[in-house]
Amino acid sequence: MSSLDVCLSALDARLDARQQDWFQRARAEVRQGADDDRFCQLLSQASRYAPRGALAPSESELSAARAALEGWSLERWSVLECVRVALVLSLERLSEPRGERAVEEAFRYADIGEMCALYKSLAHLPLPERFVWRAGEGARSSMRALFEAAVCDTPFPARYFDDNAWRQAVIKCLFIEAPMWRVWGLDSRLEPELARMALDLVEERRSAGRPIHPELWICLGRHAGARGVAQLEREIREGSPRARAGAGLALARARELDRLQTALASESDPFVRQILTEALAGRAASSSWSALDPTHKPLTPVR
Amino acid sequence: MRFFDPHIHMISRTTDDYEAMARAGIRAVIEPAFWIGQPRTTLGAFVDYFSQILGWERFRASQFGIAHYCCIGLNSKEANNEALAREVLEILPRFAFKEGVVAIGEIGYDEISAAEERAYVWQLEFARKHDMVVMVHSPHRDKKRGIQRSIAVAREVGLPMEKLVVDHNNEETVKDVLDAGAWAAFTIYPHTKMGSERMCEIVKRYGPRQIIVDSSADWGVSDPLGVPKTAKLMLERGVPPEHVEQTTWSNALAAYSQSGQIDVEALLTTPVIDQRALFSDNSVLRGQAPRVDAPVPN
Repeated sequence: MSSLDVCLSALDARLDARQQDWFQRARAEVRQGADDDRFCQLLSQASRYAPRGALAPSESELSAARAALEGWSLERWSVLECVRVALVLSLERLSEPRGERAVEEAFRYADIGEMCALYKSLAHLPLPERFVWRAGEGARSSMRALFEAAVCDTPFPARYFDDNAWRQAVIKCLFIEAPMWRVWGLDSRLEPELARMALDLVEERRSAGRPIHPELWICLGRHAGARGVAQLEREIREGSPRARAGAGLALARARELDRLQTALASESDPFVRQILTEALAGRAASSSWSALDPTHKPLTPVR
Repeated sequence: MRFFDPHIHMISRTTDDYEAMARAGIRAVIEPAFWIGQPRTTLGAFVDYFSQILGWERFRASQFGIAHYCCIGLNSKEANNEALAREVLEILPRFAFKEGVVAIGEIGYDEISAAEERAYVWQLEFARKHDMVVMVHSPHRDKKRGIQRSIAVAREVGLPMEKLVVDHNNEETVKDVLDAGAWAAFTIYPHTKMGSERMCEIVKRYGPRQIIVDSSADWGVSDPLGVPKTAKLMLERGVPPEHVEQTTWSNALAAYSQSGQIDVEALLTTPVIDQRALFSDNSVLRGQAPRVDAPVPN
């Protein structure tokens, strides 16, 4: 199944007759070569027909999505976003300059909701590297919804960002309070320079007398070094429960198992103990930080 | 006391802010050119923005007894749109020499990308060639490296260090800037950047030389009274009054009056407000009686 097939089949089950009627006509227009102007109008009009609520995909829809594109977090999409992406993917000659122009024009006139859908579409387009600069605009945005659409929940940055843009996007999660653990492919693209930037930020925060965001430690991976380990130990000694849990996970990733063992032995908080025990057992992927994210509610798939 | 807030984006602030600022003793402000919270897509948007900070905003400030200067420049974030950046740099000289432009700024790095560096170097060279002051915006992410690189690149271009103001410093970066001989500015933000308490400690530790306090108030959560509030706290915490005066008034004046655009004598006299004045037939009034000959309370 292609990404478009996944979208169309999800929409089949979720749009009522009136919505479906509009969508089919809009899609036919796009496929018959609607000009850029009309295409922009259709993307906007979608909000007057498609529901804004979460798509809430079933398990089988999720696995179809993952099979169509590794790293596709369909569970983070709304029905409206799915409609919009389906319209984008229905554009004729999408791999040609004409297709690129249509997408760029759509971005230029987009409102926030349209922009989120467009950023989410980028990894699904043919020749996605054409849109690296555009995705970077999302990463440069100060609006968290746009940033998350461009950086979290999409495989685009891990696959196509250059090293500098990648590090900037990852570190920016902390500044804009976007969930770093949701940056797809983060664990496969850790490197010493990212760890260095994270540790400089730790020193800056300490000088300012501010707490360290528990997710910052994700960036260290196995590149913590002596400087990183010293900071992690300090966090274990002085930090809040969430901070200690984050530092414990990072110790596991730095393969500092003796220190982690010691931290566990002196830990009394049951929540932190549980995280540290799992870390000792090797469960310390960046997704483990979801347990420390107060805004995170596990998604229950519709069956 | 009188204060100079040498970094504030007044186009995002209300007339209530202007009144409160004048009441708190702020006599002069500098509005550096920056982005507007989201990227612009056309050259025309920049042209109108530069005209606004040079024109209507300068007038608006004057209606509250505040002298308004500005910096012209292409900010780092929007330098990443290279096609548009080239167009902006092409028209930048048309605005850079206007009355009241005290520096090229705020320029520098955001993501520390190659495109940002190209725009930064171009503007540094322009500033050096025309003997202008430069206001550098330092990045949020990778700040220490970003500041070190801003200074190194400015030095390479040949900009005299006394013409360089590096803004948004913190405890980790201040030494590099002072050692370079540049001006180290600090932004007082309620939640990020620098708080007033920390600012007191920095002035106690490093002394007042080359140190400048500003608010950088804009469209985000920020405080247009950051400078006077910090001055008050510094006095309460035992910072000598002359050090407070230097960091909240005379250092900024010394740095930016190198432009020749600040009439220091006029600034020292008590401003008198005449709200009957018009700008392009437009007034700041909305049916109120104009304040005329009202000295700014201090």
